[in-house]
Amino acid sequence: MSVTAGAATSGGAPRLRRAAAVVGIGHTDWVRDWGRARAGEKPADSYGYAMQAFSAALRDSGLQREAIDGLIAGPTTAYERLGEVLGIDPRWGDQADAVLSVVQACTAIEAGLAEVVAIVYGNDQRTAGTQYGGPQAMGGDAFLSYVYHSPWGLTSQGALYALTFQAYKHARGMTEAELGEVAVAQRGWSSMNPNAIMRKRITVEDYMASTYVCEPLHLFDYCLINDGGVAMIIAEAERAKQICANPVFIEGIGRSDLNRGATSLEPRLTEFYLPAQQQAAARSYAMAGAGPEDMDVFQVYDSFSVHVPLALEGYGYCPVGEAGKFLREQGIGPGGRLPTNTGGGHLSETYMQGWAHQIECVRQLRGTCGERQVQDCRRVHYTSDVAGKAVSLIYGR
Amino acid sequence: MDADIARTPSPVLGLDDRPMWDSIRDRAMRLQRCCGCGTWQYPPGPGCTACLSENLEWRPVSGKATIISWVVFHRQYLAAYPAPYNAIAVRLAEGPVMISNLEGDPPEGSWIGRQVRLVYAEMPDGAVLPRFALQA
Repeated sequence: MSVTAGAATSGGAPRLRRAAAVVGIGHTDWVRDWGRARAGEKPADSYGYAMQAFSAALRDSGLQREAIDGLIAGPTTAYERLGEVLGIDPRWGDQADAVLSVVQACTAIEAGLAEVVAIVYGNDQRTAGTQYGGPQAMGGDAFLSYVYHSPWGLTSQGALYALTFQAYKHARGMTEAELGEVAVAQRGWSSMNPNAIMRKRITVEDYMASTYVCEPLHLFDYCLINDGGVAMIIAEAERAKQICANPVFIEGIGRSDLNRGATSLEPRLTEFYLPAQQQAAARSYAMAGAGPEDMDVFQVYDSFSVHVPLALEGYGYCPVGEAGKFLREQGIGPGGRLPTNTGGGHLSETYMQGWAHQIECVRQLRGTCGERQVQDCRRVHYTSDVAGKAVSLIYGR
Repeated sequence: MDADIARTPSPVLGLDDRPMWDSIRDRAMRLQRCCGCGTWQYPPGPGCTACLSENLEWRPVSGKATIISWVVFHRQYLAAYPAPYNAIAVRLAEGPVMISNLEGDPPEGSWIGRQVRLVYAEMPDGAVLPRFALQA
């Protein structure tokens, strides 16, 4: 039996629809800093990257710093020190991951607690040698499953997704070559993105020939680990229209969490997060008054490629069990049916833990993506399912 | 202890985990079973996650299980686990899912659906782990 809060289409938040809009985006030069880090340099710490990104977002918005009255720090910097570094004493503040920063900014704005909120992320994970595996894995304090199985040698994040994919491909009949289409497609996008770290195109043959890290996952199924920072400025809707000519509105929000059985990985291994994704999808689609057929671009949190087929099924882009066929026949790369992770995603552009996906959503809706621009882009769908916490966000012009 | 012997990664030892690890060391693994609704649970916790009863008893498991997923690590992350090595997810006959390793020769083809039985492996550093072997 599963306990679900409310029916699929209730529990939405219609008041939040187009209550707030993105008016500024900024990020660090992670291509340059990747090279510097590999040369043994330490370009900045997490606060330095956050500051660079915030300054860029402020310039992009044309606002003065004094206009910011809300601040949300990403999970990798302490809230107080970040506010100190940025010189912001807001009337409202919080700390959250990428997608929940956007949600909480909308919530605070709609409630009148703030009018112009900066959400700011900086992470020196590459140069700091942050460990996402091992008995003391990053995130283990928040997710017991990340550390609980270390006596049996199962500690890496990749292994959790390898276990998921093994069970998934058995249940659905998907092949490794079909999963390889994800990495190939995203590299196709990143080859057109000057901000992407990995830009060399690859083929499914390259993918199949690449080494296994944790079988059945290949090297190309894994995200990068690099330094950088991302910031966005989100303003109350009417104010946003005064600030800029092309605000990007948040139109739909949905969330559904699978906590039961999470430590023993049961929601990943038996249902592949499907019920949570379907609930989050229904809520966000109802709020936005749109469905998967209305989305021009899909952005998926992709610490591993496996997230993508799960999301294609969970958010209704293809029937359950047909993600492999969709990837092979319809396509998610340049020229494909559903442009997905158009910046290259975590696999090929930059691993900003979902933050860079947000600014790619905005760039596609502003029409500023250059060679990789999706024509007449009106709605972009972002989803994440980190550890079975499914969140769905719909951006529109 | 010999400094050359790799240490088995320590288990998470919350308040409720200790009786389970004591039973593993005694080679008779026990898990919590709810006295109210009969649900077995893993990992151990302060109460029954199915009905919130705090009346739990420690009961020995049957040792019967079925593999529901498996992976093979091709990289070494831990001194005690030189690559290649496997990890499996099994569903215990009692209900809970557990992560472990498969001992002995792996099966041909897919491992999913294979019947396995609980065995106790003594690691080089003396740690005892509950693992699984294919049913003959």
